[in-house]
Amino acid sequence: MKTFFASLCVLLFAAKVFAADAAADFSAANEIYAKGKFADAAAAYEKILQTGATSPALLFNAANAEFKAGHLGQAIAAYRQATLLAPRDAELRANLAFVRNQVQGATVRERFWQNWFSTLTLNEGAVLTAVLFWLTFALFAARQIRPELVPKLKGVTRILVLLTLCSATVLAVQAANHFSTATAVVIADNAIARSGPFDDAQTAFTARDGAELSVLDRRDGWVQVADGAGKIGWLPVKQVEVLPGA
Amino acid sequence: MDATKMRLSLKTLTMLLLVALLPGAAGAASFTASLDRDSMMLGEQATLSLKFEGVQPQDAPGMPNIAGLQFQYVGPSSSFSFINGQTTSSVTYNYLVTAQRAGDFTIPAMRADIGSQQLASAPLKLTVTTANAPSAAAVNSGSEIAFLKFNFPKNKIYVGEAEVGRLELYLRDDVQNFGNFQITSSPTDGFNAGKTTELQNQRRRVQVGNRVYTEIPLALPLTAVRAGALTLGPFTASAVVVLPSQNQGGDPFFRQFFNQGEQQQINLATEALNIQSLPLPAQNRPANFSGAVGQFSFAASAGPTTVTVGDPITVRVQVSGRGALDGVTLPAQNAWQNFKTYPPTTKLDTADPFGFQGTKTFEQIISPENSDVHELPALTFSFFNPDDGQYHTLTQAAVPLTVKAAGTSPMPVQAANKNSADEKPAQDILPIKENLGTHTQNKTPLVAQPAFLAVQSVPVLAFLAAFIWRQRTDNLANNPRLRRQRAVAQLVRDGLNDLKKFAAENKADEFFALLFRLLQEQLGERLDCPATAITENVIEEHAVLRSAPNATRDTLRELFQLCNQARYAPVRGTGELNSVAAKFETTVGALQEVKA
Repeated sequence: MKTFFASLCVLLFAAKVFAADAAADFSAANEIYAKGKFADAAAAYEKILQTGATSPALLFNAANAEFKAGHLGQAIAAYRQATLLAPRDAELRANLAFVRNQVQGATVRERFWQNWFSTLTLNEGAVLTAVLFWLTFALFAARQIRPELVPKLKGVTRILVLLTLCSATVLAVQAANHFSTATAVVIADNAIARSGPFDDAQTAFTARDGAELSVLDRRDGWVQVADGAGKIGWLPVKQVEVLPGA
Repeated sequence: MDATKMRLSLKTLTMLLLVALLPGAAGAASFTASLDRDSMMLGEQATLSLKFEGVQPQDAPGMPNIAGLQFQYVGPSSSFSFINGQTTSSVTYNYLVTAQRAGDFTIPAMRADIGSQQLASAPLKLTVTTANAPSAAAVNSGSEIAFLKFNFPKNKIYVGEAEVGRLELYLRDDVQNFGNFQITSSPTDGFNAGKTTELQNQRRRVQVGNRVYTEIPLALPLTAVRAGALTLGPFTASAVVVLPSQNQGGDPFFRQFFNQGEQQQINLATEALNIQSLPLPAQNRPANFSGAVGQFSFAASAGPTTVTVGDPITVRVQVSGRGALDGVTLPAQNAWQNFKTYPPTTKLDTADPFGFQGTKTFEQIISPENSDVHELPALTFSFFNPDDGQYHTLTQAAVPLTVKAAGTSPMPVQAANKNSADEKPAQDILPIKENLGTHTQNKTPLVAQPAFLAVQSVPVLAFLAAFIWRQRTDNLANNPRLRRQRAVAQLVRDGLNDLKKFAAENKADEFFALLFRLLQEQLGERLDCPATAITENVIEEHAVLRSAPNATRDTLRELFQLCNQARYAPVRGTGELNSVAAKFETTVGALQEVKA
């Protein structure tokens, strides 16, 4: 038991030190940004992200720095990652919309229902569904233990079952969107999409920095993408940032 | 174990199995090479199989370098047979063969050194022909089941010019159905090609020579990206068509209703089209020409026109027309040197499915830098019209502005509040956040964490436990016999303790009174009759007790007699009472085993 508590203390202490370090690095990166050294600030934010730490604010600031440094694609990729953590952040959505407006050429945008479904993060959806699921089964169990409560609990049970089913459906759609679809954000100035996954294949189309493309396939350092106009081509992985979800 | 590891393990297992079986395999070792076809069209693929019988090479054999042919290793396949006590095994390595040009190719004999054996295959010949469109005479005679044509509206095109090519598939009138249509080769070098799509509602029947054909048009959007002599095609395609069955047997009346037709694979090709791609002329090229090629109109507006220094003015420019709108950009306006400019936003509204016709709208925020500015200079947009081969410059008149001087008028920052009624277009991103906020290390979503999923089984298990408990409670409530059995068992357990207590205190009267009651309760429960009705006589009378062991019945009799005697000779010692209690305990245990 003593060993357990000692390990717990060490872990808590390490987490606190880590949090303090990340916060200090974050403030330092903000200062670099304030001096107008946007590329340096972007690198500083990226360094924090590479430690494994992530937060909506960190990704938001990293995206701002990338945008100010002229990297539309990197900015959009970071904003999109931030929206996965904080989908209802109005500032985040405003900046993402602004940067998207700077992007030239055809691009793939979320559909209305996808925006609606992503109002909650995947984790929020999972917790909500779990809570409803637990409540529903707790109610089922209560009905078994106290059968005299069944008539009183009838309406509540129906509502809870309905809410659980709705929540589970939304979660399933969210999870399917997160795990089975992907979006490639172009991070090169003029990425040439080719008709096959090799360097000397014909040019299919040119995607501009920041274009968001649907990922159709991946093969040996290449991703097959489709743009908003339905053009299909292969891009080298190094020219895109592949993110989960459509 | 992931899929790759599993495949490797399966492959290893298969190889080990084959190696283990090979010593028992009968017959001489052999090595043969074969192609699945002797000839093919350029753009198609053949399969080369290298088959080893009776031996197991360490790895897939390397392929010789043959100019014009490419080999792509697909993978091995193996077979094993046991017929009449003779075992044979073989491993076949398969390669896809792709030709880069037409001609006759020879795949030379290949040698394989396997252990001490040297095996060689025979050389193979492969003829690669270019796809040829059928002749006009063949088409007019009606002998072609189907043919493909490619039309391009121009034979001269300028770099950057966008046109839609038309691929036409013709199917003879006796084709009952067609499917699996695939364009196998679409050489468009020097062009940026879009997606080939069928032109909706444009299928029609046309007379070609002696026969009627159904024409199915497909559109291929193309934009020239290189100057010089370019070639479009030959486009090749394959399809499966269903033709009336040649089997003329049976009743003609029924045949017309039940003719299922015969499937036939067809290969199609178009003629190659030579297109001259011209560079945009350098002569008379406007300074602000930004690469727009097509026919465009241009409109611009700006507002508000009364501002203070630093206030934003939104300039809205609309370029409409036909051409590669995707590549149209807002030209740099050199006359805007007294304005601070921000990157423009763009919106493309296309009026056709190819993105070649529509309107591209640019919105750009500018702000006057001083109060000497009195107008927004004339806006110009230049494009090259391929129809007349000339550059055109469109100009929108200057817009008068009233710019007031201001002491402090910082460039507005985009507000986050989206509910304001007079919402203006965003002019810059919102500033960075000062606080890091809650940050996390674990990026794996909860739904992908096994622990989270496992925890969700807890409420289900709790419900199941409650359900089982409810079933047992209901069963007990509906079964008075079981309820009595449990009550008597509890009574006997408590009673035994009391008996031992009375024995220790040498209270013989209380001891035997309790003993008698416990005997009555236990036997009453076993015999399903009231406890008060139990006497010594039931031992002999009741069928249930007759099936009990004799020793149990004897002890029961003894216990009843002891109880009766106690009324007349109550004084007993503690040891004797303890002995009686032990006998009762044993007997009760035996009684509970008796089937009631």
